[in-house]
Amino acid sequence: MKMIRAFIRPEKEQEVVLALEGAGFPSLTKMPVFGRGRQKGLQVGPVHYDELPKTLIMTVVDDEDADKVVGIIHDKAKTGFIGDGKIFVSPVEAAYTVRTGEAKL
Amino acid sequence: MKEITAVIRRYKLPETKKALEELGYPSLTIQSVEGRGKQKGALCAEMDSEMPESFCTAVKLKPTPSAYALEHTLPKIALYVPKRLLTIIAPDDAVGGIVESIIKVNRTGRHGDGKVFVSPIEGALRVRTGEKDKEAVS
Repeated sequence: MKMIRAFIRPEKEQEVVLALEGAGFPSLTKMPVFGRGRQKGLQVGPVHYDELPKTLIMTVVDDEDADKVVGIIHDKAKTGFIGDGKIFVSPVEAAYTVRTGEAKL
Repeated sequence: MKEITAVIRRYKLPETKKALEELGYPSLTIQSVEGRGKQKGALCAEMDSEMPESFCTAVKLKPTPSAYALEHTLPKIALYVPKRLLTIIAPDDAVGGIVESIIKVNRTGRHGDGKVFVSPIEGALRVRTGEKDKEAVS
C-alpha cells in the first residue's frame, strides 16, 4: 500500500475530493497546514507572505492505484502558477480497520 | 523503526493515551483532522456514534448532517467527520503490541472507528542530545 500526501491549494480541495470520489477513492483525511516552497513564500508589492495556507490531503491506497490517484490529484489541482503544491508518495506496510480489526483497507 | 499513524474517534483519545502509557510508549503526536471513509462522510447515525455513551439521547439526536454542514459552513456534497490523528514512532518489535492495543481500545463495532497504518521510518534524531535512530525513540 502507498500513503499519498498532497499539499494543494485550499480552493481546489473540493474539486480534487469530488474527482477522487468519482474515481472510487472516497476515503481521505484532510488538514489545514501552512508552509512555503522554493520561492520562499510570496511577495506582493511591499508585503512578503512567508507562510501560505494549504490543504493537506492524506489517503492510503493499494500499490496499483497509487499512480491513478496521483494523476487525478495532479490533473485537478493544477493551475500552472507557482504555489500549486506537491504530492508525496510513501510506503505503508500494513493497514488495519479498527472496526473489524482486520489487516486490510 | 516504524511510524504508526492512527485515525481515531475524538472521545477515545484519553483512553488511547492511557493504554499507550501502560504499554510503555507514551510519546505521540496528536493532530486534529477531518476525514471520511468508504461511507463518504457522516450519516445521521454516524454523527450520533461520534458522541460518548453517557450523553443523553436528546443531545445525541441533534446534529443531522445538514445542520452540521450549515454550522461549519461545509458544502453538503462533501461532509467530513472530525477525528484525531495520532503519530507514534516505535521500534520494530513494539509495533504489534501498540497496534493491538489501539484497536482494542478504539473498537466499538460501528462505522467510523478509524484506521491504523504502519510505515517504515529510516532515521531519527533527538534534538536535545543528538542521539540517533534507536536511542532517539526509546
